[in-house]
Amino acid sequence: MTNSRADSDMQRRGALNGVSTRMLNIFRRSDASVVLAVVILFALFSLSNPSFLTPFNLFNISRTAALFVFIALGQAIVIVAGGMNLSLGAIGGLTVVVAGWCMDTMGWSPWISVSLALLTGVLCGMFNGSIIVKSGLNSFVVTLASLFIFTGLIQGISQGFPYSNIPREFTVLGRGDFMGMPYLLLLALIVLAIMGYVFKFRVVGRCLLATGGNLEAARLSGIRTDHMIFLSHTLSGLFAATAGLLWVSRMGSAQPSTGSDWLIISFAVAIIGGTALNGGAFSATGILASALLLTLIRNGLIMLNVNVYFEQTFLGIIVLLAVSIESIRLALSNRALRPSPPAS
Amino acid sequence: MKQRRSPLSMRIAALLALAFILTACGSPAATVPTPASAQPEASGSSPTVAAAPTRVFKPVWYAPAPHPYFEEVRKGVAAFEADTGIKVEQQIGPDWTQGSQNQRMEALAAQGFNAFAVYPADASGANGLYEELTAAGAHIINFGTSTAQPTTASFAVATDVKAAAMRATEELIKAMGGKGNIINVLEVLEDPNTALRKQGIEEVVARYPDVTIIQEVAGMTSVETAVQKISDALSANIDRVDGIIATGYTPSVAIAQVLTEYRSRGGQRQIHAVGIDTDEAVMKAIADGVMDGTIVQNPFGHGYLSLLLLKYLSEGYKPKADAYFVNAGFIFVTKENLDTYQQEILKVTEQIKSEMLDKYLER
Repeated sequence: MTNSRADSDMQRRGALNGVSTRMLNIFRRSDASVVLAVVILFALFSLSNPSFLTPFNLFNISRTAALFVFIALGQAIVIVAGGMNLSLGAIGGLTVVVAGWCMDTMGWSPWISVSLALLTGVLCGMFNGSIIVKSGLNSFVVTLASLFIFTGLIQGISQGFPYSNIPREFTVLGRGDFMGMPYLLLLALIVLAIMGYVFKFRVVGRCLLATGGNLEAARLSGIRTDHMIFLSHTLSGLFAATAGLLWVSRMGSAQPSTGSDWLIISFAVAIIGGTALNGGAFSATGILASALLLTLIRNGLIMLNVNVYFEQTFLGIIVLLAVSIESIRLALSNRALRPSPPAS
Repeated sequence: MKQRRSPLSMRIAALLALAFILTACGSPAATVPTPASAQPEASGSSPTVAAAPTRVFKPVWYAPAPHPYFEEVRKGVAAFEADTGIKVEQQIGPDWTQGSQNQRMEALAAQGFNAFAVYPADASGANGLYEELTAAGAHIINFGTSTAQPTTASFAVATDVKAAAMRATEELIKAMGGKGNIINVLEVLEDPNTALRKQGIEEVVARYPDVTIIQEVAGMTSVETAVQKISDALSANIDRVDGIIATGYTPSVAIAQVLTEYRSRGGQRQIHAVGIDTDEAVMKAIADGVMDGTIVQNPFGHGYLSLLLLKYLSEGYKPKADAYFVNAGFIFVTKENLDTYQQEILKVTEQIKSEMLDKYLER
């Protein structure tokens, strides 16, 4: 009887230890802090304003976060391979203008227009990638130059005019939902899952990470690093184009100003989400959480009716507080890893 | 791993080809106006003494960056050219920075242009440029908005933004039945006009004890941001908002889109809305009954009247004392006058033209 009680105590203690170890392992993940920040902010805003949890608000938050995911993926895929893409927003804007021009001015079907717009994004990415690879120039310089080229094309083609005659069926993706969940969010989750899988289990993903982690070592290991850099910029163009098209779908018009404020968003979401700025690390969960974090903060500031003149200050403070959870995580993680002192 | 490199000659050829393309894309030399001082001298004159520049009227119309508003203004410029036979150099810059504007306008001045109708990129920063140009004998007129005072610009031809905001607020409150809660959507806080618009809205709301501004949102540099912020503000106040007002182009477009979507998703609450300008999305929202109306400015007049003033100044007219701001007028467009408003706003321009010499200028 005593033995069986002791056994059950040991089993219970073992189970508790298992749970706490699993919790600790989860908390050790690099994206844990941003997920925790999202949970905390979600709870705070829910308590502070009853309108926060309305289906209308949650629908809008999740749609915006989904769009941020695509914008961030466009930057993250290049950062992972050790570069950056300053022309991301301009590629998105050019895609939007091409799609608008095809659908509104030319009256072409959405299928043809979307295909041409996606092709535009891919070609822009290939343009960046090929110049970087062939010339050996830094991605910062090349994409800065192409930012001007693409912006000029946007202004030249559109002359600042939006394209308003977008077929109604094209807005289904941006405005519709499946059992209350926006299609945009579903699409973002699917793409994130694919990206997470590719980076974890596929050769091409590992090669991209290796290229960003240490270019020389990757090259010496037989990885065709030039191909990886070219691929990362091509995919960046594709993600930018996708984000641009999804914005058109959500807004029901093609605005030439689309993408003008993507640069900060793309870096912020990617970096806060655990993409290492010096390459070699990617977290799909982190990007999703980070996109939600920024969307929640912006939404929450309006919910709390903060003074519009100080809005940016509050935004900065909350972002700083949210990411400071990362330093707490690191401290706890380091303490757990520290070897216990030898018994005297 | 051996990297394949293209030969040096290929690279040089590619660079030359790029330079050739860029040169070919530039304006043909024949269209660049020749500065008066660079005209060939008459035979017999001393080759060492430059001829005194002939004071010919060489006007420029300058906008900082592509925008639908400027395309509307250009219609007024084109009408001025047609009416007077005077060629106007029309330039649109690459961005909204004062630095770009300075560089390009200085280059135009160096080419001999001496009369500028300008939309200032920066309300304060433009004054430095204006001081230099007016010191060199040029006339400058602000269109669309004014620079900060004091300024060396002779006139500002623009909408009285505060009056327009007040009219928009009055119309919104009327649509709401004289009571209810309003979301005030401001555009860009850095624009000094935003403060005037805010002031105008608050002054009108103060006259109605049953009307309250429940929320202000601002900082909308793109339609994307505006759509997000307006959606958020609507979500936060969905059970108590009765009206939304926007006094900038970008939020007006966003309101049209957000409210159209709100309706299409089965939103039941009656939310009145008033915006500004004539973007297709706004006009469609008015036609569909989603928005109540919009303030229509007079961009045609901004273009035409500012060039007409420059022409008079070049003929020796001077601005009358205290005559600086030329109110180019605005009208309120609803579903009722959606088809006729363009004629109405043209009448406003004609009216200002007819009284220009008496009201604003003197010999």
